[in-house]
Amino acid sequence: MNRKNGSPLRLRHIAAITSAVLVLAACGDGGGTDDASDAPSSTQKVKVALDWTPNTNHTGLYVAQAKGFFAQHGLDVEIVQPGDADAASLLAAGKVQFAISAQESLTQARAQNVPLVSVAAIVQHNTSGFASPKAKDITRPAQYAGKTYGGYGGPVEEALLRTLVAADGGDASAVKVVNVGNADFFTATKKDIDFEWIFYGWTGVEAELRGEPVNIQYVKDYDKALDFYTPILITSENQISSSPDVVKSFVAATSEGYTYAADHSAESADVLLKAAPDLDKDLVTKSQEWLGPKYKDDAPRWGEQSAQVWTDFTAWLYEHKVITTQVDATKAYTNDFLPTANG
Amino acid sequence: MADGSLAGRRGRRVRRWAAPAAAIVLLVAAWQVFTAVSGTEQWLLPSPTDALAAGREDHASLATHTLATAKLALIGFAAGVVTGLAIAVVLHLVPLLRAALYPLLVVSQNIPTIALAPLLVVWLGFGLLPKVVVIVLVCFFPLTVATLDGLRRTDPAIEDYLLMSGANRRQLFLKLELPHALPPMFSGLKIAATYSVVGAIIAEWMGADEGLGKYMIVAKSAFRADKIFVAIAIVVVLSLAVLGAVLLLERLLIRGRTPRDADV
Repeated sequence: MNRKNGSPLRLRHIAAITSAVLVLAACGDGGGTDDASDAPSSTQKVKVALDWTPNTNHTGLYVAQAKGFFAQHGLDVEIVQPGDADAASLLAAGKVQFAISAQESLTQARAQNVPLVSVAAIVQHNTSGFASPKAKDITRPAQYAGKTYGGYGGPVEEALLRTLVAADGGDASAVKVVNVGNADFFTATKKDIDFEWIFYGWTGVEAELRGEPVNIQYVKDYDKALDFYTPILITSENQISSSPDVVKSFVAATSEGYTYAADHSAESADVLLKAAPDLDKDLVTKSQEWLGPKYKDDAPRWGEQSAQVWTDFTAWLYEHKVITTQVDATKAYTNDFLPTANG
Repeated sequence: MADGSLAGRRGRRVRRWAAPAAAIVLLVAAWQVFTAVSGTEQWLLPSPTDALAAGREDHASLATHTLATAKLALIGFAAGVVTGLAIAVVLHLVPLLRAALYPLLVVSQNIPTIALAPLLVVWLGFGLLPKVVVIVLVCFFPLTVATLDGLRRTDPAIEDYLLMSGANRRQLFLKLELPHALPPMFSGLKIAATYSVVGAIIAEWMGADEGLGKYMIVAKSAFRADKIFVAIAIVVVLSLAVLGAVLLLERLLIRGRTPRDADV
């Protein structure tokens, strides 16, 4: 099993269980041995944590680094993989300054008073959906009844399933849910699992390359509220209040990275591959071609976040009891740090 | 004399439990005071009362998950005991096999279970079997090693005496070696007992539809550190319960031999 080809969406929250306290104990501020004398005195050190192993949802960060966009904005950026620690928890605890997350995760965090803020939508529309091998002949959500869903333990999953199955006129209570841990989509669906929640841009493309095509039902096609932002670029309220200039610089450089990646898919795929050589070249190349145009899609600029999306999805999360306290959606995101120029 | 002795024994039993109980109470109190005074955010370090409230909130689903984990741990523990004892007996009776396989047994304990677990899913699917295998791998080794040591340390003088009396291999094993191995076997059993619950949690992380392991993963995704602490507390209680059962069994099986030994 090649763990690094696991579905980034499904595996985002899978980690050995560690409490935040253990995270703090395990992740010291030390470890960096950068030679400060080599860097310009005005350079600001910044860490950004991925949500999982590198994939094309992250390409813009690597492009911004490789093309020197971060450096041009006075930033020395380290891209870290949190491993078993949760990226958002590291951010909340001040161990990193930025992280890749998702709208449902950030909203749940805010429901628990974790002060995180989304500063950009990395992909403008939801590219995730429930996928199954074509051979299983599952073509619509009503057919999930009686089938087994392989999940990763995210609180939002069962609510999504219920919404899609109900919207398609099926019996949501007849869907069996099993946690599949770290097993990847292809392994799980050859065993006892019928379908999983994936990003088409990664696992879906991999399926095509393997000659094991999938049927996929995108969540956004069954409820308007489900066209939510995933992945997103996030920071903390503390970071915004203490270093607004750093946030602005970081978002500007990242915006240039994703905009460049959207227009230069082959070159950007190479950049990602250099940063993560273990990735499969064909997968990265084809995924980048598919996903690149979707970073900005129909938005006026990369990263733009809609008040309606945040309000509708937050209400949906509350209605479906994924969160049990009201969250003020207007405080969960901001477009204030996005550069004004159209991409 | 008899009355005094009985009262004294009762008093000692009470005092034996008082110290650890007091330590736990003090620890929990200190934890509560620390969270109150330091103002630490709940998602970072919940207070004991936060954890208690979360436990009450989820008591119904917690009961379901606890039952699932307990069932899995007991099945895995039973399988681990049978496997561990069987390996110990076979290796003891066939010295050549012992020489060949003992190093492999040691190596089996260097395999990081977290890395192996996903492969077990690939090989065995998502049912009960891979989870039981994980728990067996975690549990059997201490039992096998302890029992093997016990079987080997039989008093040679008594062995010679029995051989001179015409005892065959089977009688020697059943009458002398096995009884003699009981104390170390129970030492191994206690270690295996505590490992069985933790093994069940690890097994659930690799794939489960119920169990405290799954509960922890969902709680973590929802930034509910308070729920994670509840689950941890339940795991500790479960582990102590299994250990307690083994201690009770040990007392029944081994203390029962003491009077005879004393008489001899």
